[in-house]
Amino acid sequence: MTVSVARSGFQISVTQLIGLLVGIAGFCLPLVITIDGLSPAGHRMFAIFILAIVLWVSEAVPMHATAMLVMLLMVLMLSRQAPVALTSGIDRQVLLNYKDIFATMADPVIILFLGGFFLAAGASKFKLDHSLSAVVLRPFGSRPPMVLMGLMLVTAIFSMFMSNTATTATMMAVAIPVMASLPTGDRMRTGLAMAIPFAANIGGIGTPIGTPPNAIALGALSSAKAADPTLMYQIPSFLHWTMGAVPLMLVFLAICWALLAGFYRSDQKSIKLELKSAFDKSPKAIIFYVTFILTVVLWLTEAIHGMNSNLIGFVPVVILLCTRVFTVKDVQELDWHVLWLVAGGIALGLGIGQTGMDKWFIGLFPWESMSPGIIVATLALAALTMGTFISHSATANLMVPIGIALAKSPEISVSPIEAGIWIAVGSSLAMALPISTPPNAIAFSTGAVKVKDMALIGGIIGIVTWGILVIVGPWFWRLLGIIPA
Amino acid sequence: MKQQYMILCIEDERAVLDALVRDLEPFAAAFRIEAAEDATDARQAVDDFLSGGGRLALVLADHVMPGMTGVDFLVSLNADPRTSSSRKVLVTAQAGLADTIKAVNQARLHHYIAKPWTVENLHDVVREQLTHYVIERASDLLPFMNVLDTQELMQALRERPHAAE
Repeated sequence: MTVSVARSGFQISVTQLIGLLVGIAGFCLPLVITIDGLSPAGHRMFAIFILAIVLWVSEAVPMHATAMLVMLLMVLMLSRQAPVALTSGIDRQVLLNYKDIFATMADPVIILFLGGFFLAAGASKFKLDHSLSAVVLRPFGSRPPMVLMGLMLVTAIFSMFMSNTATTATMMAVAIPVMASLPTGDRMRTGLAMAIPFAANIGGIGTPIGTPPNAIALGALSSAKAADPTLMYQIPSFLHWTMGAVPLMLVFLAICWALLAGFYRSDQKSIKLELKSAFDKSPKAIIFYVTFILTVVLWLTEAIHGMNSNLIGFVPVVILLCTRVFTVKDVQELDWHVLWLVAGGIALGLGIGQTGMDKWFIGLFPWESMSPGIIVATLALAALTMGTFISHSATANLMVPIGIALAKSPEISVSPIEAGIWIAVGSSLAMALPISTPPNAIAFSTGAVKVKDMALIGGIIGIVTWGILVIVGPWFWRLLGIIPA
Repeated sequence: MKQQYMILCIEDERAVLDALVRDLEPFAAAFRIEAAEDATDARQAVDDFLSGGGRLALVLADHVMPGMTGVDFLVSLNADPRTSSSRKVLVTAQAGLADTIKAVNQARLHHYIAKPWTVENLHDVVREQLTHYVIERASDLLPFMNVLDTQELMQALRERPHAAE
């Protein structure tokens, strides 16, 4: 049901309207009541935080708009540049410089992501994804389980560098003819339609640029470190993240493949994939391929040259613009709103830390009585649950600052790295419903998947991978030295 | 679900019109299908639907009809900014060369189906035209995945800006 303002084309659903009203009411609440143990600035931040939760859950305004609103409200209510009347009664020491709030839009991790966007957009522009998938899929032959494995592996690899959504659309276009060639009622149709989004979601874990929650975790970790010089942790480099995450990703993929191949067998002995590998060999395409390879090599060799991953993200941006491989139109077509959403999360984290809202919020729960393992497991499970119903990025935006703040408190011996990253990865594992993530929605729209299939297989994958993440993950990352022992 | 996009069929012979609408049944899941027996009826149906906030996606028009001809009706749709981007198809056996030229030049005709049509050909043409239309005009492609050319739509989705994950 929608309410439309006559003829103007402006429509708002009832859910959105409720979201808007609840959001405003929730925003006002901490401003009119006094909460024990929370500073005056903390009250304001809590108001902004409540509004952000309600708006990201209800999507009453677009998600990136909420992120921008968070920034504006922080500038108006918590910055030194705010009108005096709006900051009276607040300790000026607590107030932020508005520069720091706006700077989140150009946070180094946003630059890293921008580099990722250029690589992904180039892959699409020169159809590198299509031509590569043909080459990579060939050795997998034609037996149905092997075709499924090949498709999932290619999807996951692409998704490490492209958004999960773009990867899903690309690979669904490859899978659709295969699905159509299967006889009606063949269960593998359903299996294939789920394999692509699931592999894309899992693949996003593989690199820092795989999916926005990863960037949100890294951004929050570095801004927390900048705000508190006593924190000693080392932010994972591109190589460290990849070394730590790819083995987990492969295990998760194997589990997902085994489930789909087992539950959705095909009656066919062999299936045919029609793929042409025609690499674009124009000079611009070649410049792009070289830039892509160079960037990835630089990312993986940070230990040798010492340039950090964020900085390297800017290299492809500059090369592709200077060589005119990317035009103004290509630049305009990037998903800038995703960067802004990430920036909003970083800003939110900044405010939560600065105002002391985090310490008060964490004090509400008896964390000290829980073992570090249980705390990390709980955070990841909460992210998994929340991510099932709302966007993964919004989940990370809301939960990562809380998780990092929790890990910072002296009574708790959890590394902030573990808390932040496990929340991000936990949210990526949420794939039990069509609304959990856009890749799932795309697969669902083909009509080949029922909600119950997705809930069953996606739910099992979520729980099993969560178990591995929280039991094996910390041990593995310590073994690699990414988290201090 | 309230359908936002309309397929309009215009044909003066009731039996033929019914057959046409019946053959379009596979598209009914995502499109409102309207039948009109002449240009006046058709104009009314279009105006009603547009004023409710809907859009005309595709017109399948016969040519020879009492009153305004099919080609003239398509020309009038093309002149109206609200329907100029609608896909226009003639379904006829009797349009002469001059009428056909007029349809191509002045109505920007997208396709010509010769009567009698085969169901398969009709489906192919309609699917192709609607796929083009929604890729060009619809903000959300997902509702059409199951009804139109899924592969084309997936490729179009790849090119579009994406919602954040």
